[in-house]
Amino acid sequence: MYTDESDMTLVERYFDADLDDADMQEVTRRVETDDSFRALFEREQLLILVIRYQGQHDKLRYLKKMERHLSQDIHRAPTLSLRYWPYLVAAAVVGVLVALFVWLAVPKDSDKLFQAYFKPYPNMFEPGVRSVRETTQRRQALRAYELGDYETAARGLKQAYHDHPEPGLLLLLGNANLSLGHVPEAEENFNALIKNYDDLDLQAKWYLSLCYLKQGDVERAKIMLKELGATEISYASKAKELFEKVN
Amino acid sequence: MTHNDIISKIRSGGQNELGLVYAEYREEFLRWITKEYHCSDDDSKDIYQLTILIFYDNIKQGKLENLVSSVKTYLFGIGKNVVRDVLRKEKRYTPINQEKWLKEYLVEDQAHAPDERAFDIAGIALGKLGQPCQRLIEMFYYEKKSMVEISEALQFKNPETAKNQKCKCMARLRKLFEEERSRTQNTINHVY
Repeated sequence: MYTDESDMTLVERYFDADLDDADMQEVTRRVETDDSFRALFEREQLLILVIRYQGQHDKLRYLKKMERHLSQDIHRAPTLSLRYWPYLVAAAVVGVLVALFVWLAVPKDSDKLFQAYFKPYPNMFEPGVRSVRETTQRRQALRAYELGDYETAARGLKQAYHDHPEPGLLLLLGNANLSLGHVPEAEENFNALIKNYDDLDLQAKWYLSLCYLKQGDVERAKIMLKELGATEISYASKAKELFEKVN
Repeated sequence: MTHNDIISKIRSGGQNELGLVYAEYREEFLRWITKEYHCSDDDSKDIYQLTILIFYDNIKQGKLENLVSSVKTYLFGIGKNVVRDVLRKEKRYTPINQEKWLKEYLVEDQAHAPDERAFDIAGIALGKLGQPCQRLIEMFYYEKKSMVEISEALQFKNPETAKNQKCKCMARLRKLFEEERSRTQNTINHVY
């Protein structure tokens, strides 16, 4: 393909949205009238399309990795055809009776509620570009977290956060500490997350309310849960449900 | 945090914010799609992943700037279109080919659909480009990051250096594409 340097620059700047109106019109005109210019234009369009496709492919890989972590927790009803309906109805009745029995039998003290509602936040924080030492250390800590080795994870995450403070690391550190029963440390982590960052504040508040429950401080838990229950999204339904129970 | 806050966070942020949205609506979406369309577990997850990718793409491409409804309503709306399209294109019990679907989704957006073979050749050229060029142009053209953000993330001296590097990477990609294209052409000529 014949490539004129200035034409190529013009095409590149067009796709980078770096042209004024007059030059934009010039590009449009030449695409319609000049075959070799159109070829340059279409090649650039194709390359950008493939870059976007590759980008989607990478994001898809990331979502699949996340899905593997999250799907360990899901308990969904399988799809059943109509002939199973009588069994479903019977199972539902039994389910309601069992749930009623469990609800009456289980003492609703704050620690029990904590146990029922606490589920460590999944690791969904990918490393950015860092030095080899930082990346290795961080990866090991995150790996330990994923494996449920919260002792190693807490140590590693604390160091990783110290070296390179990021809200995601602090959220996981708080969760690791809470899993280990180090409630004051976890509380400190979540408070720092709320105070110092704009991200992950709802998640931090949810886990902070669980810290309060774990410590038996029902009143503070209620304030936090009420606040979360009033939000538009994220944790609202779970917070409302838990608020009802502690109330 | 409002719904539009989420949009602006994803627009300025990256993968982690997307992951948060994914986790947030996952259970409800999977429950809904399984019930409504009788999809298998695997199909429901595949459809949810495609839905999230389109949501992300719409934000990054500037198609979604402000939400008039909630994120949930918007996601479920995309999901409904994805599942209908998948059911239309695929046989009922064939597993969903996500990569093929994504390719078609991107191509359908173009005024002129590119040649299938040229698309594959461009993919090979991109694979040969190597790092950090691949990452840089992906951040610029797919994630729509500014040169300031790119220079910080990839540790360039300044945004101007990042921009120069991006131009060099694109020039190299064009060259690789032409080489690959003529190599493929020669192979075809040789065979016949």
